[in-house]
This record gives sequence, C-alpha cells and structure tokens, in this order.
Amino acid sequence: MIIVYTLFAMRRLLIVLLLLPSLCLAADAEFRLSIRDHRFEPAELRVPAGKRIRLTIVNQDAAAEEFESYELHREKLIPGNSSGSVYIGPLEPGRYPFFGDFHPQTTTGVIVAE
Amino acid sequence: MYRGIAFAVGAAALSLSTLCAAGPADYVYTPAVEYGEREIDFKAGRANTHDADQQSAASLGFGYGATQHWFTEFYAKYESSGSGAVHFDAWEWENKFQLTETGQYPVDAGFVVELERPQDHSEGYEVRFGPLLQTDLGKLQLNGNLLFERHYRASESGPMEFGYQWQAKYRWAQAFEFGLQGFGDVGPWDDWNPSEQQSHRFGPAVFGKIPVGVHKAIRYNAALLFKASSGAPDNTFRMQVEYEF
Repeated sequence: MIIVYTLFAMRRLLIVLLLLPSLCLAADAEFRLSIRDHRFEPAELRVPAGKRIRLTIVNQDAAAEEFESYELHREKLIPGNSSGSVYIGPLEPGRYPFFGDFHPQTTTGVIVAE
Repeated sequence: MYRGIAFAVGAAALSLSTLCAAGPADYVYTPAVEYGEREIDFKAGRANTHDADQQSAASLGFGYGATQHWFTEFYAKYESSGSGAVHFDAWEWENKFQLTETGQYPVDAGFVVELERPQDHSEGYEVRFGPLLQTDLGKLQLNGNLLFERHYRASESGPMEFGYQWQAKYRWAQAFEFGLQGFGDVGPWDDWNPSEQQSHRFGPAVFGKIPVGVHKAIRYNAALLFKASSGAPDNTFRMQVEYEF
C-alpha cells in the first residue's frame, strides 16, 4: 500500500514538475531530416542558435538507423519506414556533426546553428 | 549448453570480483533508454573500513532496450566478505522506463524498478524503485536519483529504506569524461537514522565510450568514493564496463 501511495505522490509531483517548464517556454522550432539510401537529406541543416529544436527524422529506408551525435549528446534509433523526434538545443552558434550509427560511412550530416 | 553458459558467466564474475568492489548495483542510473540496444554489463566494487572486513561484490548481466521507453536487464550477483570465498548472492531484474523525450523539457525523467531474489531466501524479495532525473548545462551533465528499497516476504520485516545517487559529469571527450559521483542511504524513508548511522560517500569519477565496430561500443565508468559520514565505508572503489551491440 505504501508503494502505491508513494508512486501516486511521485507521479503527481513529476507531472507538476514537467508541466511547469512547458508552460514557461516558447514553442520549439521544428525541422525535418530524412534518411534515404543510407544518407541524410539535407546533409547540412541550418537552425537558429539559442532556440530549442524539435527535429523530426523520417527514415525512408527499410533498415533501421540510429541518429547519433556526441556533440549534440543524442542517440535515437529510428526503425525502418518510420519516424521519430529528437529535441536539441538551445545551441551556441557552431557546427554539430551527426551520423547514422548503422551506416557511419555514408549516413553523415551536420547541424549549423547560426 | 545453458549450464555451460551459466558456468562461464559465473566463473567470469567470480574471477573479476576478486579484483574489485562492494555494492556493484551502486551505479548511477540515467533516465534515457536506447531502443534496440543489447548489452553485456559487468559491475564490481570493493569497500574498505579500517575496523571491519573488506566487502566485495560483482554482477554480470544482460540488458535489452525492448521499446523506445523500456530497458530491461537481468543480473547474477556475487559477493564476498573479508578473506571469505566469493559466493553467489542474488538474481536481479532491473527495469528502466524513460518518461520524457531526452531534451524535450529542462529536466529529463525516468523511473527504475528492480526486483532482487537473494540466494538466502530468508531475505525474501528486495524491491527497489524511484525517479531518475537528468539535465544538461552545456557540456555538464547532472543526474539525481531518489531510491526506495524494501524487503518483502522476509523472515524479519523491515521498513522501506531511502537512498539517493547523484553525479556531475563533464563531457570533455567521448572516450574520456570526468566528474563526481555520490551515494547515500539515510535509513527508513519516513524516520531517518541519526546522522552518525547514515551512509554518505562521494568522490571523483571517470566515464567514456569507445566504439569498436558498427553499432558496437564499450562503455565504462568508475569512481573512488570517500566517506562523508561515520556510517559509510572509509573508501569504496566501484566500476562498470558494458559491451553494447
């Protein structure tokens, strides 16, 4: 019973904590990235610096791919013929390389924050 | 075949545990789940206290990112005390749930639930659970976890215990990152022990990930923890190595 009450209380606290920042922050800037024939399109994506970005990655290949970037501190597996979202930033102006972990020779790209 | 695998797993943990440490489960959880990832996970630790036997423990596990938001891992845990032989201690089933998309909110959230079945059945079942939180400040990654633990169906009933973990990690380079880690146990969650009986420890830590092939990598982290309260061991060395594929 204690576990149930504790979980309930923590869930309420978590929801409040998570909703507060979402009410305070401006909407995310949205960008789209495709994977086709094991290549990112576009291979260079320009985004505004200082803003949080929602990056929708559409994998048009049948094989899964993993979006990975140490510079962006993100790893996200995108199954074949599906899509997923990655949230990044706010970024300082600069170049942030990324790659596909399953096909690192061809699936490469860079985000340019400016 | 399964007996052979079990023997190999046990032998590896036994041999390595003699090198390392106490509380192998005492690693800092992070809330992110990597879907589709499989990992072989070795953890070990050793705690030294000047007027007590040295405590060592190790675990070997296999984990899998079953969905975008659920990672599950199964461990065999071993331990030894003083000059005693290493012996099997418990089976553990860990489940981690990612509650928010990484970076979507200022704080990323997850939740962990562990079920442990000690070899000594009089200890019953141990359940450990709690929220996992993480945020990034530039290249600095901060984690804070609150953990609740209780034994069920044990020969002696006990209260739910409360503990915490934290780490601050500077992401200097993928192969080598550094920072601090801390662990604490305060006793019953609603009636903390006197401060001299609480265990608080913290110290320097290193981290890294080394790619070893297409979608294969070795990830490591280790820390040397020093006592920050009289209820803690004088020093503890803990480490974790994972092969991800």
